[in-house]
Amino acid sequence: MASKTATKDIITLRGSAAIVSEFFGYAANSILYNRGVYPEESFARVKKYGLPMLLTQDEGVKSFISNLTSQLSEWLEAGKLQRVVLVIMSKATGEVLERWNFSIETDSEVVEKGVSREKSDKEIMREIQAIMRQIASSITYLPCLDEPCIFDVLVYTDKDCAVPFTWVESDPKLIANPQMVKLHSFDTKIHKVDTLVSYKNDEWDEA
Amino acid sequence: MILRTPPPRKRRADSQPPEDINNNNAQSPSSNRELLVYEDLPVPEYSHDHSIPITSDQMLCTYQCRQMVKSEFFDALSSAEKQVHDYQSKFGALNEDLSNAEAERKKFREKFFNAEQELAAAKGREQMLQEQLRKEVDFSQEQLRKQIHSFSELEVKFQKEMDLRQKAESSAAKAEEKASLLEEKLSTLSESIDREKNRLQNELLQMRSESKLSVSRISADLERMECKATNAEKESALLREQLEELKKRLDKCMQEKYELEKKSSIRSPEVPSQDSNLLLKHLQEELRNYESEVREARKLKASHEDIELLKEKLYEEKSRRERTELDLLKLSDLQVNVKRLEGELSTWKSVVREIPGVSSADDILPKFAALQKEVVDSMMRASDAQACMKEIQVSLDAAILDKQNAETEAAMAKERAESYKAENKQLESVLGLITEERDRLKNVLKLLKERTSLEGGTESVSGTIVQELEASLAKKENYVTELENSLLEKKEINSRQQNEIMLLNERLANEARRVKMLEREGDRLRSEISLLESKLGHGDFSSTNTKVLRMVNTLAVDNEAKQTIEALQNELQKTKEKLQAVEELKKQSSDAGTHVDSYIAGKIKQLKEQIATLEKREERYKTVFAERISVFRRACCELFGYKIVMDDHQRPDGIPVTRFTLHSIYALSDDEKLQFEYESGNTNIVVNDYTLQPEISRQVDIFIRKMNSIPAFTANLTVESFNKRTLS
Repeated sequence: MASKTATKDIITLRGSAAIVSEFFGYAANSILYNRGVYPEESFARVKKYGLPMLLTQDEGVKSFISNLTSQLSEWLEAGKLQRVVLVIMSKATGEVLERWNFSIETDSEVVEKGVSREKSDKEIMREIQAIMRQIASSITYLPCLDEPCIFDVLVYTDKDCAVPFTWVESDPKLIANPQMVKLHSFDTKIHKVDTLVSYKNDEWDEA
Repeated sequence: MILRTPPPRKRRADSQPPEDINNNNAQSPSSNRELLVYEDLPVPEYSHDHSIPITSDQMLCTYQCRQMVKSEFFDALSSAEKQVHDYQSKFGALNEDLSNAEAERKKFREKFFNAEQELAAAKGREQMLQEQLRKEVDFSQEQLRKQIHSFSELEVKFQKEMDLRQKAESSAAKAEEKASLLEEKLSTLSESIDREKNRLQNELLQMRSESKLSVSRISADLERMECKATNAEKESALLREQLEELKKRLDKCMQEKYELEKKSSIRSPEVPSQDSNLLLKHLQEELRNYESEVREARKLKASHEDIELLKEKLYEEKSRRERTELDLLKLSDLQVNVKRLEGELSTWKSVVREIPGVSSADDILPKFAALQKEVVDSMMRASDAQACMKEIQVSLDAAILDKQNAETEAAMAKERAESYKAENKQLESVLGLITEERDRLKNVLKLLKERTSLEGGTESVSGTIVQELEASLAKKENYVTELENSLLEKKEINSRQQNEIMLLNERLANEARRVKMLEREGDRLRSEISLLESKLGHGDFSSTNTKVLRMVNTLAVDNEAKQTIEALQNELQKTKEKLQAVEELKKQSSDAGTHVDSYIAGKIKQLKEQIATLEKREERYKTVFAERISVFRRACCELFGYKIVMDDHQRPDGIPVTRFTLHSIYALSDDEKLQFEYESGNTNIVVNDYTLQPEISRQVDIFIRKMNSIPAFTANLTVESFNKRTLS
């Protein structure tokens, strides 16, 4: 009991938004590396969440992801973000092959009243680590991407949310009859993130 | 023992007073024994010890064993005293036991009361829990019923939707069939149209050839007529000449005639007059002939003019014919379009008819909106169901917890009952022991009573004690009976409690069954929730409160743009090739031209429409521009006093030059104009008649050549001409 209470940390809305947006940055990098969207040599190794993580060194992708995370943290602080989806599409046909779905539940009381919550940093890191492990291990069951692919980021926001000028309204880019695998989730007590990957049915399975 | 004679009464009185003697005797009987001499004892006055004679008299025997009997008696007495003492101590102990038992009883009673209270509280709690459980179960059952009802409704709706979908599919199939039929019809129609076109074109060709023939004929006629006209003109000219000659001759003749007349008047006027009359007649006839020829010539001229008019009319007719041909082509296109539109309209009408609850095209949108609303409502309901499920789960968890608590309490109550039983058993055993002791004591008492009855008044002291003992014993018995009663009551209560526990157990079992049922329901609902969650996970969302944004991905945009540009270029090339092919086909044969497929026709139409709209826009721009520029010019004229006319022309060496001609509003004549040439940023004055005037040329030299300021020149000129105007 003593150890439990000793390790509990106070988490504010801003802190939680920072944790979650940083998670999205690392998750996107990890997905892009593991799914081979960008070549292996364009990634560099760093240590994060107690794991060796890979970060892209491509300037374009880097700036894209940093812009993404800053905008996401803004939305997270406002409690307007419902979902973030990383879509992997075929470069040639534009067909959607994978959707990495991060559903976010925000504690509305925290947003409205500005109260803080308690949860140990270590526990949150452990939960994120589990998700990162699952992302890394997803290559074992996801179908092989044997064509050049591109990625896109969609967000589901509240209807009253203002659209920044680098964002446009879009269709949800759904996959018809997808296979779905639910991954672990993590919770900062303010934001709860559920991870799910849905992907196009492999023809080999049906044959 | 040998008890032959009852003790005398006086001895009792003797034996009463000093207690300490007894005590002394009790304390040291042996020491007395030592002092006594058996032979000296017969004397009854021997009074140093009153208690001795009592026994000595009793035990007095003729066999001189008095001492022995005495000692025996003393022994017996001391033992009896001891026993009494023991009894007293025992009595005390028993009293203590009794008080202990009473305390214990009190404790037990308190415990019992506590237990009862606890039991009542437990019952109350259990009842509360049961009520709560019942309520929760009722609530959950109601919710379940509602959910089942809503699910059934949703299923019905789903079936309806499926039916609708099937209908829509069937209608789509029908529409496709219709479309194919229409396509067939269209093809037949297009064929017939082609045939018609061919026929019309043949006719047109025939007409053309006919018109050509007629034109050639007419032109031949015209030429002929022209020739005739020229001939007639020539003839008329000749005739005129002849006429003039004849006139001259006539004049001459007239002069001659006059002369002759004069002569004849002088001479004989009759003879020559006849000749002259003849001549005159001839001449007059000739004149008439000439006049008729002239009339013919005039007619010919008129006919020539008619021919020209006819020619013009022919040209007009030709242009009209061309226009009609174009209109005919357009008409056929329009007919095709109209047919296609009619077909589409009919299909749409059929589609509209097949959609239930829709009577016109305007109803489709609200219908779709209603369907969307239904979808949203169902989503809301699903979310509500989820919320309900969560509530039920929470209540279920609470119920399970309550059940566990109740079970633990029941177990505790059982334990308590068992402990009570054990205590009861202990109490029973204690009671048994006490009753045994009591019986023993009774026996002892009986014995004592017997003895006292035997011993008579000597035991009056212990009698009271015995009575007390008996009273206490009676009390004890009462207590025992009370305890037994209470035990019985406790047993009854225990049995009741056991029954209640049994009932509670049954209820618990029932509740457990219900809980299991609820758990099963919960599982089912969970599976449904997982289904709904999977739908959500798929990426579905409610458009009422969510919108999807996409970050503008410049990484992919370049590639996409390139790809789209390439694709568009490819398409452009393809269409160009198609166009070329079509043009070639058109050129090759006019028939082939008619086989231009509807796609290209549509495209051409679209492009034409685009062109038309663009032309309209251009026209609009032009008009707007013209309006604006006219306003600007007028304003310039008003502000600076010069009308400016601008025109572009080229110099002989091919360099384009803009010329500005300025007319002052105060100018006295139109010749007062200034001309400037503007060429790549330089403005130069053009020398003309006005600027060559000495006054103006001086000003030009001063302001333009020296001061290099055209505005100063024009302003000065304006002021001067204003002065001239106003002063003059």
